[in-house]
Amino acid sequence: MNQIKHIIKKELLQVFRDKPRMVIIFLMPLIQLFILGYAITTDIKNIPLVICDMDNSSTTREIIDKFKYSQHFSLKKIDNNYKNIKYYLYSGKAALVIVIPVNFTRNLIRNENPQIQLIVDGQDANSGNVGMGYAINIINFFSSSILIKKLNINPEKSKLVHFIKEETRIWYNPDLLSINYVIPGIVAVMLTMITTLLTGLGIVREKEIGTIEQIIVSPIKPYQFILGKTIPFVILGFIAFFFALGAGKFWFKIPFEGNILILAVFCLIYLLITLGIGIFVSSISYTQQQALFIIWFFSIFTILMSGFLFPIENMPEFLQYFTYLVPLRYFMFIIRSIFLKGSEFQYLIKDGIILILYGISIFGFSSIILRKKIM
Amino acid sequence: MNHRIITIAKKELLHIKRDPYSLTIIIILPVIMVILFGYAITFDVKNVSIGILDRSQSKSSRELVNTFTSTKYFNTRVFLNNEKEIEPLFKKGIIRAAIIIPEKYSSSLKRKPETKIQIIIDGSEPNTANIISNYVKMIVSSYSLKINNFQIKAPIDIRPTVWFNPELKSIIFIVPGLITIILMLISALLTSITIAREKENGTLEQILVSPIKSYEIIIGKVIPYIIIAFIDSIFILVASKFLFSLKIEGNLLLLSVLGLIYIISSLGIGLLISTIAKTQQVAMMMTFISTLLPAIMLSGFMFPIKSMPKILQYITYIIPPKYFLIIIRGIILKGIGIGYLWHQVTILILFGALLILVSLLKFKTRLE
Repeated sequence: MNQIKHIIKKELLQVFRDKPRMVIIFLMPLIQLFILGYAITTDIKNIPLVICDMDNSSTTREIIDKFKYSQHFSLKKIDNNYKNIKYYLYSGKAALVIVIPVNFTRNLIRNENPQIQLIVDGQDANSGNVGMGYAINIINFFSSSILIKKLNINPEKSKLVHFIKEETRIWYNPDLLSINYVIPGIVAVMLTMITTLLTGLGIVREKEIGTIEQIIVSPIKPYQFILGKTIPFVILGFIAFFFALGAGKFWFKIPFEGNILILAVFCLIYLLITLGIGIFVSSISYTQQQALFIIWFFSIFTILMSGFLFPIENMPEFLQYFTYLVPLRYFMFIIRSIFLKGSEFQYLIKDGIILILYGISIFGFSSIILRKKIM
Repeated sequence: MNHRIITIAKKELLHIKRDPYSLTIIIILPVIMVILFGYAITFDVKNVSIGILDRSQSKSSRELVNTFTSTKYFNTRVFLNNEKEIEPLFKKGIIRAAIIIPEKYSSSLKRKPETKIQIIIDGSEPNTANIISNYVKMIVSSYSLKINNFQIKAPIDIRPTVWFNPELKSIIFIVPGLITIILMLISALLTSITIAREKENGTLEQILVSPIKSYEIIIGKVIPYIIIAFIDSIFILVASKFLFSLKIEGNLLLLSVLGLIYIISSLGIGLLISTIAKTQQVAMMMTFISTLLPAIMLSGFMFPIKSMPKILQYITYIIPPKYFLIIIRGIILKGIGIGYLWHQVTILILFGALLILVSLLKFKTRLE
């Protein structure tokens, strides 16, 4: 026990002595949290819009106003020349062009179903899709108001009409703010990356410099070495984790519905996994550069497959099977459920058990490998 | 070319070759990333599981339910007996949305002009929830038209067309971004690490006391990485052409020339970092924070800059990948020429020149 304490002390001393590294350990999570928290947004706002209004009547101006005051669009220009459309889209001045043809109003009054053309820059498939949806909704809304006016004039016809109207309620995140979804995810990703990276690089560094030889010949036992090397990062990881949670709750004002104690327990279990992976990487790599690359690769894979940004159900089936191998997937589910839905323990037990199994096997396996490889 | 530069470049290449592990990762990583990103990054929402609480239990309500579940968007249904069952199913993540059809649905549909049904959506994934809500609106309104035998037409006929990516495939958007990031990763990260490593091992001193000039060291050291970066880009393009049938609309030669300018400005960042960082770890972390993170998050690679808060939008102006992304997307997807891109090219050149100049000056002061 005593020896473990000494290694922990030495490790912490090293962290605090290396100023740039310390700054990075504490700064990186902060920068990540704040920049990512604001940058990662699936909200689509301010889509640059050009309206090509060739009819130029009070009706078309009414439509234009609807777009002008929508936060989803930022109206850049109202043009009346069809030939300029190409320029706007190719130069990126507009991502959406709405074309209202000549005689639009006249045809509308005559019930001739005039067309409105939407031209979407589809490069960014999601923004394009969502932006198009917003535009269609705005025009449809306008369209149905005209329909209602017409039906009111003709009450006989309106008796025959039976419409279904859907009333939508959204739970847990009624305003559909993407930040509520992203921040808990970032906290989980950050925890993964920092703890894996620090453990991984920490041990490889001793290998690269050659100080590990000295530890091998000393009376320190392998399990003491492993515990001594990982416990400081459990502490640091835990501090960073709760700091990030606090920032999420008090700075970003994310509702935290669940029980923090349950979350802490799952966090501890999850740390077993990330530290285990860090140990594993450090035992198979010889230089810090290699370790960095492997961890990088692992992180990208993990982040993409965890459902952090891209829902797992939407992936092709063969990829969905891969996600079962990614421990972050389960932790992501747990942290999000606790944060937003306030899920109680009984809803998390399945994912919790899987995490425990992963934790024990990964940590155990890596410790054995490390012992075999260097001790 | 200068003979000493070539020697240094050869030495650096030897270093790279000697570490086949890292080399494999550098070469294979981009291709794997294309595959992963190509399949995993999709905002298309399909196969949503939906809970159904049919209080009406009539022929018309079953027809409505079938209308929902016969679409490709909602394929799994879970029948519920009461409203209380919704919450546990949301919490376990089994369903994403629920439809509640009222008891009087069938009779109301015959008599009243408007019949309400209730939709409850799990909003914890806002993007998915948004898209589900749009699908529901679409399905309900077209079903409404159908049961009215299409007597009523929408007054305005909306005709959407999509340019540059008609099938709205996410991969088309991601590939140019991946190239931008890989180029940045290799040029900035590897350069900063390679110089920091010589510092850490003490071999830099030996080179510095030799008659080689500092710019020769720098140029010699970065040449191999420029080559690797180029090879990687070609791999990415070829992989996405065959796997995801990406079409290149524009001029590849123009792209290569502008790519080189971008690589040089990224190298500038790497060099600048290496003049400050004394150890590999610090170099890595600094590169990570100052280049990789912004390149991924703030360049418009995946997240639209225009949706960010104003402050972040201003920060994006000093991020070179932002400009290169506009260039590479313009050339690959829109097929535009240099005429549309002068603005971005000038900024990249200015960035590159400034960074290289500063790091050369800094490098020299270390010599003395």
